[in-house]
This record gives sequence, structure tokens and C-alpha cells, in this order.
Amino acid sequence: MAAMELWQVGALFIGIAMAGVIATRVDLSVIPLYVVVGMLVGPNVLGRYAPEFAIPNTDVVTILAEIGIVLLLFFLGLEFSLDRLMEAKRRITGAGLLDLGINFPVGVGLGLLFGWSLLESVLLGGIVYISSSAVITKSLIDLGWIANRESEPMLGTLVFEDLFIAVYLAVVAALVGGSGGLESAAVDVGIAVTFLGLLLAGVRFGGPLFERLFDADTSELFVLRVLAVAVFVAGVALAIGVSEAVAAFFVGMGFSSTDHVERIERLMTPVRDVFAAVFFFYIGLGTDPLLVATTVGILAIAVVATTPTKILSGFYSGRIYDLDDRRSLRVGFGMVTRGEFSLIIATVAATGNGPVMTQVIPAFAVGYVLVMSILGTVLMQYSGVFEGMLERRRSETMS
Amino acid sequence: MTVYESDLPGVGKKFEVELNDGSQLVIVIHNTGKRELFLRESPDSDSEKLFELSDRLSRQVGTIMEGAYFQPIRTETIDTVLSDETLIEWVKLTADSPLVGKTLAESEVRQRIGVSVVAVQRDDETISNPGADFAAEEGDILVVIGGQDACREFQRYVTAEPTTDE
Repeated sequence: MAAMELWQVGALFIGIAMAGVIATRVDLSVIPLYVVVGMLVGPNVLGRYAPEFAIPNTDVVTILAEIGIVLLLFFLGLEFSLDRLMEAKRRITGAGLLDLGINFPVGVGLGLLFGWSLLESVLLGGIVYISSSAVITKSLIDLGWIANRESEPMLGTLVFEDLFIAVYLAVVAALVGGSGGLESAAVDVGIAVTFLGLLLAGVRFGGPLFERLFDADTSELFVLRVLAVAVFVAGVALAIGVSEAVAAFFVGMGFSSTDHVERIERLMTPVRDVFAAVFFFYIGLGTDPLLVATTVGILAIAVVATTPTKILSGFYSGRIYDLDDRRSLRVGFGMVTRGEFSLIIATVAATGNGPVMTQVIPAFAVGYVLVMSILGTVLMQYSGVFEGMLERRRSETMS
Repeated sequence: MTVYESDLPGVGKKFEVELNDGSQLVIVIHNTGKRELFLRESPDSDSEKLFELSDRLSRQVGTIMEGAYFQPIRTETIDTVLSDETLIEWVKLTADSPLVGKTLAESEVRQRIGVSVVAVQRDDETISNPGADFAAEEGDILVVIGGQDACREFQRYVTAEPTTDE
């Protein structure tokens, strides 16, 4: 099963490229389309009817997808600077805590309501809490909102979420990977904390070393060194049972204080985009639409419950930034989209035990991301309609 | 003029420039190097996108707006102003120019007209500070420095126009 022929890798990229074309045509974000196309050409749909043409879900794809996760989180760390958080500390932490305080418990509560264990519910909490930096940032640019004041609470909240997700992933990865007992879980968390502590020390004191190490003359050498460090450190982390995503986040943070940030962003963005696309495709490959269909009940409940909460928390985040009703509403709509991080949490869940973690949560996450990414982008596109309603209602109450 | 600078995590940087009429010019510099320009009529209104430029193009436009940009095009009549009075001028010698075949000493341009030849461009070669025994040839581009009137006079002399208007 591990074997994969070159033409199949080629077909994989054709599938991804076609998904990209379709997404641009219908004016949707690319992430849900990558997942859908992966699902269609994978073993669960095409594999049922024409297995000889289906793209297998092999180790090769898994490795490429893992590099995708590593690079996604590496970039997150790269963008994340403590100085920046400190600069706008009051507002970012205010909006971030509001977002966390409203949306995370709703997810955990839903999980408990479905009769899941506490850990499973905490995973669900993460999935419904974390908005999609990639899709939201792209929509902000496409709609031109990036130059408006509503972009500040949105991007600020995303930064807070990113910091939270790094800590969260470290903890849940250790808990899910643990053999179940509370003691062994504590040992796993201990190992994770030690490893991340070492990385953090590297981040704190390694600046000058990074500076020298990556002073490469050619773009080729530069890209290779960055990729080598990020993937190797993340791989070592995974080997000793720490989340590779979190390790990559710390490596990215290590670079964020060097002069190389701009060069990394310029040269590595296309590399990240290729592997990240494979990651979303890989999520689709592993997803059985029939399984997603069995989660449709909890999916509907989750969508109905977590769309208004994000709008609400976004609206009041806008208030923290002194925005008027109209712009605050946009912040709310803008934060509805969930995406890549919900899927990363689902891959963590899939390494666990029991049918809820290995099947229900991954299938649910795919369905949820599909619905929320489409719903979120549409809400942003048509926010003008709702803004108009808001204006009319206000002028009626005024008169 | 007040300029607000803010970070756009994952995107780049944003600069808001307050214009005199109360509107704001918003410049977004993407990490990719792309620049987007927006205009905001009032602090409360939405930003209208004006245009976007590549990194390279926006640097050129920037220097033009700064007043520092010029593109040296090799024609016979471009000049660069050093001060109100002094110019550097590029003059190409045609076949019928009275300078062709003479050394700089023989043609006495500095003494008679008041311009100094500071450099000569011959094909791909640049001869800086040519000596008095430098012999000009057809096709040479002489770079001369001198007063505005002197430069004009030199131009006429080299292109062999009759000096009738003065």
C-alpha cells in the first residue's frame, strides 16, 4: 500500500491544481476545494468505482502533508512576535480572551452534550474555537478590508488564537498520544514541556546563531537550510512524541527576530503553499463522505451553535477596538471561517483511541471546515446587506 | 502630516497618511513586496482601492514623487541641472561637427565658449577627464559642464548651426 507511482503523484497535483481553478471560478477559498477534490479522487469515492485510477492514501502523501503542517505552523511562528503582542497588549488580549472565553467552552459543552469524554470534548472545543488565519487573511485582502480599521481586531485576534493553538496542540498531542493513564500522560506532558523549553531557549539565545547559519549567498542554499532545520526539528519532536506542529511553530519564532524574516517569507511562501495544499488534499483522501454523512446531526448542531458565538465575540472584539456597529459586525462575520487549524487538531485526534477520536472527530472536522469556510466567506462577501439592515434598524429606533 | 504605521500579521505593514482635505491615503506593503494604495474619504468611510504596484515599480514611482528620479536617455540634448546656472550636458558629435578630428587644445572650447569637457563616451568606453591632446571623433558623446548660456552656445557650435540669433 505504501508504494505510489510517479504518475499518481502527478495526478495528485493535477487534482490540487484543478481544485484551485474551480475555487477561483466560483469565488470561494481554496482550502475546502482541496479537501473536496481529495475526497472525490481518493480511495473512498473514486476507489469504490475505479480503484485503478484512484489516488491511494500512502505514506508518501502522508509525509508530504506533514511537511505542509510543519510549514504552516513554521510561518505562524515567523509572523508571531512577542513584541507585537506586547505593543497592542491590552486590545489583543481583550479581544483574544473574549473570543476564547465564548467559543472554546461552547465546543467543549457540545462535546459533553454528545456524550463524549472530556478529552474528546476538549478536542471539539479547539476545532470550533480556532478561526482560519489563511482564509480570513486572504478574504481581507480580496475584499480590500485590509486597509480598513476592522482588519486590526481580526488580525489581532488571529495572533492570540495562534499563540493559544501552539500551547493547546502541545498539551492535547501529549494527552491523546499518552497510553491513557493519568501518570503516563503527565510524563508525556513533561517530555513535551522539556523539549519545548529547550526550543524556547534556542529561540531566546539562538538569534545570532540563526543569523550566521542562514547567511547563505544563493536562494537555493537558503531555502534548503530553512527547510532542513524546520522539518528536522519538527521530525525529531514527532519521534519523541511531541507535536511536530508546535515544534515548527517554535522554530519559526526563532527566526522571527532575525533579519532573514523577509527573505524567508519571499522565498518560502510558494514552498509552504505547495505542501499545505497537499495537506488539505490528504485530509480529503482520508475522508469517507459516508462517514461525514453520519456526523450530519452533530454537524448541524455545531454549525448552528458556533456561528452566532463567533459573530458575537467578533462584534464585541470590534467594540474593544472602538469600532462602530457596522465595522464590529464585519469583524464578527470575518471570524466565522474555520480552516487549517481545525483540520490539524483533527489529525491529532486521529492518532488517538476509540471510534470518536479516530473516526467521528476527523469526519466531523472535514464537514465542519467545509461548511464554515464557505459560510464565513459568503458572510464576508455579503456583509453589505446585513450592514444595511443594521443601519435601517438603528434609524427606525432613533426616529 | 501624520502617518500611522501598523503591523498586519501575516500580510505586511499598513501606513495611513492624513491628507490635507481630511481624507486618508492608505498604503499596504505586502510581505511579497506588492503595494496596494487605498483612499479613504473620511476616517469613517470604507477604503477605496486606487491601484496596486509591484515592488520594483513602486520604488520607481516613489523616487519620482520624491523628485529625485531621472532616467538618463542618450539623446543629444539631455542636461542635468547642478545649480540654477550650471548644467551638465551630453552632446553627440555628428560627421559635420567642427570638433571632429581636432584635439581639445586645438578647438579651444573652454577658452572660447566656456565649457569644460569632463568625459567622453566612445562606443562602450568612457574616457573621463580627457587631456588637451584628446582628439574627438565622429559619434563621440561629449559630456560638458558649464553655464547655461555656454552650454547652449556649445550645442550650436558642435551641431554646426549658424549662430545668428544673438
